[in-house]
Amino acid sequence: MKKTFAVIAALFILTGAGFANGQKDAPSPKGTVTLKWALWDYAQTVYYKPLIEAFEAAHPDIKIEPLDLGSTDYQTMLSTQLTGGDSSIDVVTIKDIPGYATLVKAGQLLALNDYVKSAKVDLSQYNGAAEQMTVDGKLYELPFRSDFRVVFYNKDLFDKAGVPYPPNDMTWDQYDALARKMTSGSGAGKVYGAHYHVWRSIVQCEAILDGKHTVVVPPYDFMKPYYERVLKEQKDGVCMDYAELKTTSTHYSGVFYNNSVAMMEMGSWFISTLANQIAQGKTEVRNWGIVRLPHAQGVKPGTTVGTLTGIGISTASKHRAEAGEFVQFLTGERAAEILAKTGNYPGILNDTTAGILAGMKGFPQDANSRESLKTAKIYLEIAYSDKSPQIEAALNRAHDNIMTLNCTLDEGIAQMNKDVTGILSK
Amino acid sequence: MTAAELSVGSLKGRRIKDNLVAYSFILPNFLGFAVFTLGPILFAVYLAFTQWNGSGPITFVGLKNFRDLASDSLFLIALKNTLVYCAAVVPLTVISSLFLAVMLNQKIFARNFFRTVNFFPYVASLVAVAVVWNMLFNPAKGPVNQLLSLLGVPDDRLPRWAADRNWALFTVILFSVWKNTGYYMIIYLAGLQGISQQLYEAATLDGAGRRQQFTYITLPQLRPTTFFVVVMLTIQSFKVYDQIYMITQAGPGTATLVLVYHIYNTAFVDWNLGYASAVAMVLFLLVLAVTLVQFRGEKKYANE
Amino acid sequence: MSDISKSSRSGNTVWRSFIYIVLILSALFTLIPFAWMLSSSLKLDKDVFRFPIEWIPKHPRWSNYKEIWRTIPLGRFIFNTAKLTVIVTFLQMLTSSFAAYAFSKLNFRFKNALFLCYISTIAMPWQVYMVPQFIMMRSFHLNNTHLAIICLQAFSAFGVFLMRQFYQSIPDELCEAARIDGMSEYRIWGKIMLPLSKPALSTLLIFSFVGTWNDFLGPMIYLTKTELKTIQIGLRMFITQYSSDYGLIMAASVVVLIPVLIVFLSLQKFFVEGIASTGLKG
Repeated sequence: MKKTFAVIAALFILTGAGFANGQKDAPSPKGTVTLKWALWDYAQTVYYKPLIEAFEAAHPDIKIEPLDLGSTDYQTMLSTQLTGGDSSIDVVTIKDIPGYATLVKAGQLLALNDYVKSAKVDLSQYNGAAEQMTVDGKLYELPFRSDFRVVFYNKDLFDKAGVPYPPNDMTWDQYDALARKMTSGSGAGKVYGAHYHVWRSIVQCEAILDGKHTVVVPPYDFMKPYYERVLKEQKDGVCMDYAELKTTSTHYSGVFYNNSVAMMEMGSWFISTLANQIAQGKTEVRNWGIVRLPHAQGVKPGTTVGTLTGIGISTASKHRAEAGEFVQFLTGERAAEILAKTGNYPGILNDTTAGILAGMKGFPQDANSRESLKTAKIYLEIAYSDKSPQIEAALNRAHDNIMTLNCTLDEGIAQMNKDVTGILSK
Repeated sequence: MTAAELSVGSLKGRRIKDNLVAYSFILPNFLGFAVFTLGPILFAVYLAFTQWNGSGPITFVGLKNFRDLASDSLFLIALKNTLVYCAAVVPLTVISSLFLAVMLNQKIFARNFFRTVNFFPYVASLVAVAVVWNMLFNPAKGPVNQLLSLLGVPDDRLPRWAADRNWALFTVILFSVWKNTGYYMIIYLAGLQGISQQLYEAATLDGAGRRQQFTYITLPQLRPTTFFVVVMLTIQSFKVYDQIYMITQAGPGTATLVLVYHIYNTAFVDWNLGYASAVAMVLFLLVLAVTLVQFRGEKKYANE
Repeated sequence: MSDISKSSRSGNTVWRSFIYIVLILSALFTLIPFAWMLSSSLKLDKDVFRFPIEWIPKHPRWSNYKEIWRTIPLGRFIFNTAKLTVIVTFLQMLTSSFAAYAFSKLNFRFKNALFLCYISTIAMPWQVYMVPQFIMMRSFHLNNTHLAIICLQAFSAFGVFLMRQFYQSIPDELCEAARIDGMSEYRIWGKIMLPLSKPALSTLLIFSFVGTWNDFLGPMIYLTKTELKTIQIGLRMFITQYSSDYGLIMAASVVVLIPVLIVFLSLQKFFVEGIASTGLKG
């Protein structure tokens, strides 16, 4: 009995081990180079396949293999995969500035200056984004997608309340007044005039639009008036309670779909998602529009907050030349048009792409919405700093405390000042 | 073979043979353990005395990381929160799981059903269960606060649970106890099955009541099991991360920042792997100290 | 005699009603969240977090249960997870009980030191040695293989600890008697210890099964190729950068809960079997 047991066990382990060896990388057909491209949400994002197909058609000797690292912990996953100088990833999508800072600090991104020069890439087509990504004169990524913030508003709710739609030129006070006018009802049928998603950047970045401050340099007292406005709106029930939103992980899309909010500050990426969901009948909202973000006195309308998704090359990659060609493709005109056709905002935002975007199915047809696509100046939601991941963590903590009313606004700002000063001094 | 028949020489030989036999039992597990787990752990211990970002060179810095710990306010907050968490979770879970196990060891109707149901929280995916918990404890509209409201608690005194600096840790503690009770209940059930029925029969014949039987038979017989439960709970409480991540993300502010969360941030946000290892060393030494105390306690009992 | 039985019978009733009340309350406490999960699995994401909680959805979306198989390759993930779970569980049970016998019933040099070594490694949070371990596994070319996960999970200190504690409660005299009869240690393990430790083995089986089934961090780091991924990674794929579908997450969570429950229920009888201490007479 014991013997048969041992034999079965051995067989099991052997077959299991052999079975479990997993797929070895299929060797590339002779002469072709396979580039591994690190990204997220491969199956759920519409533009990856068209981009890969277009590139492979134009470059028959290069194959692209996507590596989906998941969206939620993308940066951690990416950095882990790249530890120890691993060469299995060639092209890297970079989700945000803190991620960029982490990769640059670890020396995992190739400097692209020489490449840009030899391939004669025109950096001005990115509307200043390339300059903001330059660190000590070196550029480590090229802009792939550039999303900016606008105000989404629910036309049906405004019609029902008999209130004129928000204009493209609003000050923050006018925005506040409009939100208060639109707040009505109670209980399940309540309509909130404004909605602030739980990200710290929603509130904090309102304060950087006059160009006088950035989020990575204390002191942060310049944020006070904006926090005061939002906190008062929260207290008066004009917007939803932060604590509730946070603990229920409520997504901003749900509350907009449910006709629960009249206006919402959100990024341009939401435009195509919204149109898509309405077309599929999964929402209650039907008619909506977008207008420019409100501005402070003296600031030009169309000044807004932006996030950049970049593409870079891993220093350890064994196929730098081919990777360079792919990067150039992804950040070039052709890719920009493919992105625009699927309703996403490429790094190159000129009249051609803006036209394609405004012509997208489901895009609101009023003049204001089309106009709002033309931005005056975009400030990154967090400027580059080699300590930006730590700074962001400190700012998040303070934001959390302030919005959940676990400390007063002054205490929160003082904490921010103290923490970030400490981080910068290390 | 009696003791008299053994000569001194063959006794030593026997000793060596015994050792070899024992090692052969341990070898399969130990080999895998040593290569895949122990090796990396030892390397991580070494890292505590270095500075490394995962990609560049590893530079030896001696005790610098440990000196920095003393002035790291986040570390101190994390340490305090972890100790409080542990001190609450361990006794609460031991009591609730032992209680349920004793209940479910009796012959009662639908026993399997009750056992399975109590095991649910442990088995269900953490993502789903944490979401549910947050829903139930929603500060304004959750059933828990609605119930408290009905019981007469005024609106402004209702705890805001995960969003409240003073209640957030407690919320996570409750969640952990709820989630893990089923797990330890199973362990206690297995332990209870190991107690000979004859002991209880003899006690009943002697006239011992239910409470006496519990105190003088069940509890002592469960000593090895309780030791296991307490040690595992202690270790798991010191290592807590997933629950915190799901429910409060170490917030609000730093109200639920625990040691492993701090380690995670230091390692994977700051990419300061040496410092993260140093924090882990402190954690490890703490757990070791607590475990040693418990270990001594068990040995003393076993030798009685 | 009859007096004792009469009072113990009425004491019994009070005790039994108490048991039932506590059990029913705790069952409710545990089932309400599960009911919320079930009800959410039939809703659109935007309705999952709506208050007041709609326990029975007006328009139940049974299509959620179809969509989860289409949106992500859930079938493939379940297969991968099942494969990993079976192999790891089997190896854990085998090697842990084997090693635990030595720690519990045999005496050898360095026994206590080694045992303490085992337990203390449980105290190390995985996040700490994850990176060195990953780099090492990668140098073995085990990156993106299921073998990596098996190697990491199958040789657990936890299993050894659990089995050893249980073996402590098996009387030493049983083993002594067997040794006097001339049995080798291996036969003692196979013929005496194993059969007696069915409750502990089933316990280890369940924990191993659930642990591997629900494991997230290991697969996430080592399995980046989609066809190798497991259920937990799959669940998180419903949360994309710009949206999340909790209705689908709940539906998938319900579906993957079923195999675990089946395993648990089928092992119930091993908890009922009393220990056979009939080996010792007097």
